[in-house]
Amino acid sequence: MAMGDATLRSRLSQSAPWRRWSGLLFVAPYLLLFAAMLILPLIIGLRLSTTRSDLFGVKAEVGLENYARLFSDPVFLKAVGNTFYFVALTVPALTIIGLALALVLNNASRWSAVLRAVFFASTVLSVTVVTLIWRLVLIPDGGLAAVIARLFGQAPIAFLSDPVLAMPAIALTTIWWGIGLPMVLFLAALQQVPRDLYEAAALDNASRPRILFSITLPAIRRTIALVVIIEIILQFQLFGQAQLMTGGGPNNSTRPVVLFIYEAGWKQWQLGYAAAAAQVLFAMIAIAAMAQYYVSSRKEPA
Amino acid sequence: MSALRRPPPLAVVAVVALAVLMLVPMLWVLILSFKDNTALLADTASAFVPPYTFANYRNIMGEGQVFTWLMNSVIVSLAMTAGVLIVSSLAGYGFARLEFPGRKILFVVVLFGLAIPEQAVIIGRHQIFSALSMHNSYTALVVPGLSMPFGVFLMTQYFRAIPVEIDEAAMLDGASRFRIFWRILLPLTIPAQATLGIFTFFQAWNDYWWPLISATDGQMYTLTVGIAATQVNFAQAEGLGFLMAQAVFAGLPTLIVYLIFQKYIVRAVAGAAGQ
Amino acid sequence: MRRLILAPLLALLAACGASDDRTELVVQRFFGSCQADYGAVNDPTKADGECGIMTALINRFEADNPDIRVVENVVFWPGYDQLTAQLAANGPPDLVTMHSSAISDYEARDLLEPLNPVLAQAGVSPESFTPAARAGVMVGDQVMGLPIDVWAPLWHINMNLFRKAGLVRDGRPILPSSPEEFDAHARQFHERTGKPYLVQVTDKDFAGPMRIFYMYVMQQGGAPFRDARHSNFNSPEGQRALGFMRDLYQQGHSVRNQDYAGAVSTFLKGEGGVLIDGTWMVGQFTAASQREDSALADGYAVRPFPAIFKERNVSLVDGHNWVMPRDERRTQAQREAAARFLRFFADNNFQWARTGHFPAYTSIIESAAWRALPHRSDIAVLTQIGEPLPRFVRRQSPIEFIVGEEASAAFTGQKSVDRALQDMQRRADEILQSF
Repeated sequence: MAMGDATLRSRLSQSAPWRRWSGLLFVAPYLLLFAAMLILPLIIGLRLSTTRSDLFGVKAEVGLENYARLFSDPVFLKAVGNTFYFVALTVPALTIIGLALALVLNNASRWSAVLRAVFFASTVLSVTVVTLIWRLVLIPDGGLAAVIARLFGQAPIAFLSDPVLAMPAIALTTIWWGIGLPMVLFLAALQQVPRDLYEAAALDNASRPRILFSITLPAIRRTIALVVIIEIILQFQLFGQAQLMTGGGPNNSTRPVVLFIYEAGWKQWQLGYAAAAAQVLFAMIAIAAMAQYYVSSRKEPA
Repeated sequence: MSALRRPPPLAVVAVVALAVLMLVPMLWVLILSFKDNTALLADTASAFVPPYTFANYRNIMGEGQVFTWLMNSVIVSLAMTAGVLIVSSLAGYGFARLEFPGRKILFVVVLFGLAIPEQAVIIGRHQIFSALSMHNSYTALVVPGLSMPFGVFLMTQYFRAIPVEIDEAAMLDGASRFRIFWRILLPLTIPAQATLGIFTFFQAWNDYWWPLISATDGQMYTLTVGIAATQVNFAQAEGLGFLMAQAVFAGLPTLIVYLIFQKYIVRAVAGAAGQ
Repeated sequence: MRRLILAPLLALLAACGASDDRTELVVQRFFGSCQADYGAVNDPTKADGECGIMTALINRFEADNPDIRVVENVVFWPGYDQLTAQLAANGPPDLVTMHSSAISDYEARDLLEPLNPVLAQAGVSPESFTPAARAGVMVGDQVMGLPIDVWAPLWHINMNLFRKAGLVRDGRPILPSSPEEFDAHARQFHERTGKPYLVQVTDKDFAGPMRIFYMYVMQQGGAPFRDARHSNFNSPEGQRALGFMRDLYQQGHSVRNQDYAGAVSTFLKGEGGVLIDGTWMVGQFTAASQREDSALADGYAVRPFPAIFKERNVSLVDGHNWVMPRDERRTQAQREAAARFLRFFADNNFQWARTGHFPAYTSIIESAAWRALPHRSDIAVLTQIGEPLPRFVRRQSPIEFIVGEEASAAFTGQKSVDRALQDMQRRADEILQSF
């Protein structure tokens, strides 16, 4: 570094145009990556979505045919429905349970620290380990749930083979996996709530629910909105859990949009079709996040 | 006061019960991994009674594959973390402190990038690396992750929060732009670096879809993809106990890292969202 | 700090990659990974099962050919998503396992290298393949792969339970020969043993249901495909096939909630009478029948899929082959190494046939040694009545997935038979018309 400093300094002081542009040097590496790995792929994807292609090349220009086909494809529509269902199962649960845990564990005792560690630990496992663990809990032949059911003389439930139970089972797995993140976010927010608010409430002899609803929740409302948006974006991208636990079945009841994209592109060699589905997913996430943002920002007192 | 902040006993009981539910699946897998494969084939409930064995772990040690995958994951995650920190810090400083043509509009464009999910660009990325014949390389596994706008956003916010007086004082002493950045401001951003670094590391470690389609050569598998390959093998040739031992083996490094750095990780994750 | 961590890692990597002047041959296969049990075994006669024998064979080849470094890439079954990604990335392996049924998918897109010159170099003549094996790999006069077996779905039978159910005569299992008989046998079986007659894959893994469906359609004289662009699932034959599968399930004649691994272990535990599974399990079940503590102890038999619908005495067959994906960067030395590898597999086909698969070479299928293997005479008829899926269908692999998915949704009662057949046909046709 020392070597370059002198020249850089002299150049900086000498030439005004260089100085004007030098700032760009700092952002250039990132902008290059941004353009090459985000904008360019986005454009390629958009372009592919108007073609009939496979992974080996473009076959024909088809305009918006892929999109039209998507919206009349029952498998895709079911996948969209499945994705929303999954989001509805997980996002409120993650938010509410995360908040509840944070409220209970927001103190300095050692036990709270241990419990916080327990709830966060699963978050650091990778999706393949998480699904392996949960398949071994849920499968009716020798899974933990089945072993326990047998202890009580009950017939084991085949969670992953039942079209009604499969998605909730995947949601449960996901909540188990991801509960640490919202909890930690809420804990951080709770630390920021001014203590004197609570002290005033204590003087008023306010009840617990009252404190919760009129002090705590309003004070962390921005974090609640943030958690909901983060989780919506995360859970819309469901892929690994469904691919590894059920493969999208039974009867298409757990196939999310991302798995649909993967199958269309890599299994069925319909890359243009997959690209179109990816754009639809993009729009879905953007709309859901914006709607949530709109709703939560409107609630803010003017 | 203190009585009010102490949670009601019922809530404590509920939370402890939930904590047990969190631990039970992990413990289940742990004891399965110490059982003989044939015993488990007959009845997994045999996991609750001895004999136990280390054979599954011995078998993992005898098989190089998992170590290759582990190594790949470590290299990819560290490289991506380092890359994101460098690139985002430079860009964050540039956007927060320097004047150059198009600065505002470029920053808005980058912010827009925050809304693009990986799924919307993954097909295009795959095409790009295919065209360059660069799949199955560390480059292909690392570079896409460096384009995350989140890091730039975080670092820009952080640099903005540092008082400008610090730069000005240094400027008066005749320090160059780069010197100010490198010697004076960067050390002040260490908390943000930690946040971003930890975030990126875990994200890279757990990445699944991109390595699945890019690292298709067994030598280039990351741990996540490698475990997936064994998991869905048609013939479950290795046996349940072995599979479970592999899961434990794959999960343990991150769990240990987590337990050691717990405090920082939790703070980092919370810090990232606070921005 | 970062450099401190990275430097030794990179150095180690460099050390691993460097200084090896052996020819590298990248071989990609399914059949599972069993390094723990067979990693050190290089005598194929000491190995059992697909995974074990394959691992031992490759170990043997490496031991015999010290100038070739075999890089073995084990992929999850059937590995085609991965192969497709590799081909798109211009980095396919040198040799890949491929089903005969899937060869047309890749051949149609010109992604495979005809093996005529390589086989000539290896001294392997396509004339030495059995007719079924040859049909699996030939496209015109081009040889697209080296066959290593021909296989078929079979009925694996727990004779101990069959005896208890009164379904054994003169030491041979009594099998149904009509839908009505099937129902009657299953009923009798359940009454006397308290267990389901049929053990089959019911969810997650699509291959089992797909094969049973194809089998019943073919037995009725139906054709699953009309032409290269049109499937023919929603036909009277399809209706009857799927309807029958559904009836069996609804009558309680089948196990429930089984993925592939689950079905195999259910059968091994003696929890059902007949497992519908491929030739590859014959070796393993025979071995189980020789263990005293097994539910199959002294009581295992295997038969071709019986002709339930008697219009045609036919059985679906497929085969495993080594194929060579196109790769401009493959060197002459690698082609030579591949030739030796293929020759080795042709020479050692008997060892592979010990899994239960049919040998791919006339000399072996006619040998006394093969016929002396257990149970082979009971299934040998398949070499005459076997029929592969039509070659003109050029997206066989993704369609198999869809057929299996829809079939299991229908026979487990999650979806009506009509609806499943319509969806099956529409989804398959969309793929067939997408290129």
